[in-house]
Amino acid sequence: MGLLAAALAVGLGALGAGIGNGLIVSKTVEGIARQPEARGVLQTTMFIGVALVEALPIIAVVIAFIVMNR
Amino acid sequence: MENLRQIHNRQKRALFFLLALLALGWGFSPWPTVFAGLILGVLFGLYNFWILTRRMERFDRALADGKKAPSLGSGLRFASGIAAAAIAVSLPETFDLIATVIGLMIPYLFLLAERIISQLKHPDPGGKER
Repeated sequence: MGLLAAALAVGLGALGAGIGNGLIVSKTVEGIARQPEARGVLQTTMFIGVALVEALPIIAVVIAFIVMNR
Repeated sequence: MENLRQIHNRQKRALFFLLALLALGWGFSPWPTVFAGLILGVLFGLYNFWILTRRMERFDRALADGKKAPSLGSGLRFASGIAAAAIAVSLPETFDLIATVIGLMIPYLFLLAERIISQLKHPDPGGKER
């Protein structure tokens, strides 16, 4: 049961992060292609977005690890 | 808006200051395991941030050169989170596990708070046109 819980936590967390990161990166690349002079601003925004999106899956992975070792 | 390097440097400075405070807590407070866990978590969080900044710069360079974009290194960051938790799990008499997980998230909270404060101080001039 612990393994199943860990797999669900990691899987769902990674799914959310994958969709979120994909959206962020695709829109940033689209924005840079449309306005190359705004590259710096877009890159900074992408950095913050990716960092915040990834916080939750990291927690999910850590929780899964703790559950597996219980 | 500042560039990536400036944000990373400011984060680094703030986190080293926090680490100094945590080291004081570790040395002089009655809860050394909690502070040691926080220090461990913050160190790994700092490492995560460094990877993210480096990968972002590489991504930007690849985009500018028209090459194939490299990965953003999510797996490496997940692995470093697991490494922090593994150290805390294997040494429970030295590191508090909950404090380690909290410490791992402190850099993200710092980033969010710093960006909100920076946005309030210097509002985006292009924002009104949109």
